[in-house]
Amino acid sequence: MRLSPLDHETAQCLNGMAAGLEEGLVAARIFNDERIHRAELERVFGRAWTFMAHESEIPAPGDYVLRYIGTDPFIVVRDEGGTVRVLFDACRHRGAQVCRAERGNASHFRCSYHGWTYKNTGEMIGAPSFRDAYPNLDRSRWGLIAAAKVDQVHGFIFATLDPDAPDLDDYLGGMRWYLDLMFAINRSGLEVVGEPQRWNMRSDWKSGADNFSGDDYHTLFLHKSMGEIGAIPIDARANMTGYHIQAGNGHCLSFSIAESAEDGGPTFWGFPAGIVETFDASAVSPKQFDIARRSRVAVGNIFPNLSFLLSPLTVKPRTVEPVTVFTIRQWQPRGPGRTEAWVWFLTWKDAPQADRAKVYQAGIGTFSAGGIFEQDDAEPWQSIARGARSTVARTHDLQLNYQMGLGASPSARFEPEWPGPGVAFRPRYEEGVQRALYRRWLDYMESEVYPAPRPASPPLAAEARTARAHA
Amino acid sequence: MSSNPERSQGHLESEQALAGLIRDREVERFLVYECELLDDNRLVEWLKVLEPDISYRAPVRITRERTGGPGFSETSWHFLEDHESLTTRVLRLETEYAWAEDPPSRTRRFVSNIRAAQAEIANELAVTSNLLLYRGRMDGPEAQLLSCERHDRLRCRESGEWGLAERRILFDHTSLPTHNLAVFL
Repeated sequence: MRLSPLDHETAQCLNGMAAGLEEGLVAARIFNDERIHRAELERVFGRAWTFMAHESEIPAPGDYVLRYIGTDPFIVVRDEGGTVRVLFDACRHRGAQVCRAERGNASHFRCSYHGWTYKNTGEMIGAPSFRDAYPNLDRSRWGLIAAAKVDQVHGFIFATLDPDAPDLDDYLGGMRWYLDLMFAINRSGLEVVGEPQRWNMRSDWKSGADNFSGDDYHTLFLHKSMGEIGAIPIDARANMTGYHIQAGNGHCLSFSIAESAEDGGPTFWGFPAGIVETFDASAVSPKQFDIARRSRVAVGNIFPNLSFLLSPLTVKPRTVEPVTVFTIRQWQPRGPGRTEAWVWFLTWKDAPQADRAKVYQAGIGTFSAGGIFEQDDAEPWQSIARGARSTVARTHDLQLNYQMGLGASPSARFEPEWPGPGVAFRPRYEEGVQRALYRRWLDYMESEVYPAPRPASPPLAAEARTARAHA
Repeated sequence: MSSNPERSQGHLESEQALAGLIRDREVERFLVYECELLDDNRLVEWLKVLEPDISYRAPVRITRERTGGPGFSETSWHFLEDHESLTTRVLRLETEYAWAEDPPSRTRRFVSNIRAAQAEIANELAVTSNLLLYRGRMDGPEAQLLSCERHDRLRCRESGEWGLAERRILFDHTSLPTHNLAVFL
C-alpha cells in the first residue's frame, strides 16, 4: 500500500475536526470535497473491509457479480473449488476490463482487447498465439490483482485491499456479537432476494452511513408522513425509547426497545409468529436472544458504508399487517458529492414463499429508490452536499452540530449494565453513534499506517470532562 | 366480419383499417391524457384511470452478455405495485411531509412509438410505448432523464373510456439516474 500524502489544507481540516469532534462538531466540507474524496478512496476504502456480495448471489462454481471497492471494479467470483475470489477487473496486459457483464457464470475471464485469459481463480493461463507472442512470459506473475483478504460472516462477503488489515472478526470487534444476534437467530440462514437495486444521489456516502448509525431523531420530522398514513405500527415518539450502541471500530447500532414489556408493541422486529417459531434460542446466547425478542426496530452501520435495517412496515395500512422489512444497503462513493445506493432485501432461507412476496413489497415500497420512507432522505442529503461545497463552508469553517447527548444534563444516559459489547446509551436521543463513526473515519483519514483498533469507551465522568475542557 | 356478400373485399379492408386508426387514436389520447395528469400533479385523478386490479411493475435491470438477454430481473423490482399500494404512495405525497416532491419536481413526459394490438381478452388492448421523463428540481440547471419502454394492457370500461389494467416499466438504466423514484412513469 502506498498512500498519497495529505495536502496541507486537508490535513488542517482533519486536524481541526479531530479536536472539534470531542465537542460534537463536524466540519461541513467533508461532505463534498475533491481532496477529501480522493483521500477517502485510498485511506478508507483502500484499507477497510468493505462489503462485496452475499454468498447466496453466487451459489455455484463460476457464478460471479461485478462489484466495487470505493470506485474500483472487482469481480466477485466463486471458483471451481468453491473459494470466493475478489479480483480487480483490469487485464494485466493493457489494463482493459475483463468482465463486461454485471452477473453471470464463467470459468474464465478474457480481455476483449488482445484476448489475455484468466481462470476464475485470477490465474493468467494464456493469450492468442501464446507461444509466438510470449516465449518468455512467466504466467504465474501476471494473474489478476486479488484483494489482500476475503472473508465472510453470515454469508456477507467482505474484502480488504490492505494486507496489514486485521482479520474480519477483529475488524468487526463488538459488532460481531450484534450481527450474530440478528443474523444467526434462524439456523437456515439468510439469502438475498434477486439483484440489488441501484440509484444515484448528489450526496456524500457518509450521509447514508451517518443516518443508519442511529439517526432516529430524523424519523420524528422528515418521516412524519409515515405515521400519518400508518406505514409503521409504532408511535414515532415511543419509538425513541431504546438504545444506541457504539460497538467499537466505528460500527454502530440503534435498537428500538420498549421501556418495559407492558408497553407492548412489536417484538423480534415484528416478524410474524410463523417466522418467530423458527428462531432458535440456542443459536445465540440468552442475552442476545433477549435483545432480539425485545427489539421493535434495529438499524446500524458496519464501518464504513454497509447499513442494515430490520423494521415492521406496510405499504397497505388498511389491509395488510406490517411485516418485517429486512434490508442491507451500501453507500458507494462515486465522486465528491456523489453516491450510488445499492440495496438488497434479505429473507430467511426457510421463509415461506407467500411471506417473501409480502416482505418484498413492503420493502421496496418503503426502503428503496421509490420507497416512501427512503425517497425523502435523499432530499436533505443532497442539500448537505450542496452546502458542503459552499464558499461559506470554507471561508467560515462551517461546523455542524453533532452534540446531542453531550453536556452537563445529557439527553441519554450511559448504560453500564448493558449486556452486550461496546457502550450503550438510552434513550435514542443521542448522537454519540455518529460521533463514533466520524472518530473512526478520522483514524483512517489521518493515519499513515493501518489504524489501531478503537474500542468503544464509556463517557468520561462529568468532572473529568470539565477538567479536560479546561486543560 | 361482415356477412354481406355484396361488400367488396376492398371495402372490408378499409373498414378494418379505419377501426384500427380509431383505436390507435384512442390509445394515443389515453396515454397523452395520463401524461397530462402526471405532469400536472393531478395524482388523485390519475388513480381514477387505473383499474382496481392494476399490476404496476418496474423490474431491476442489469448488464448481461448478449446471450443473457436484456437483463430484466424476474425477482427484483423498483415498483411492485397494486391499486392499494399506489394509492398509499399518492396519499403520502399529499401529506405535508412528503419532502421528496415538495416543492414538486417539474416533469414532462414524452410518449412516443405507440404500438397497439388486440390483447388476449376481448375488451383489452396490448400497448407498447416509449417514455422519456424529464425531471427538474429546485433551481439546479441539471435535469434528470428517465427513459423506458412501457408494456401496458388497456381495458375498455363500460363507459367506453379506457382504464390501465397493467403496466410493465422497462427502464433503459441499470443504475437509476435519479436520487429517488418519487414520480410515476
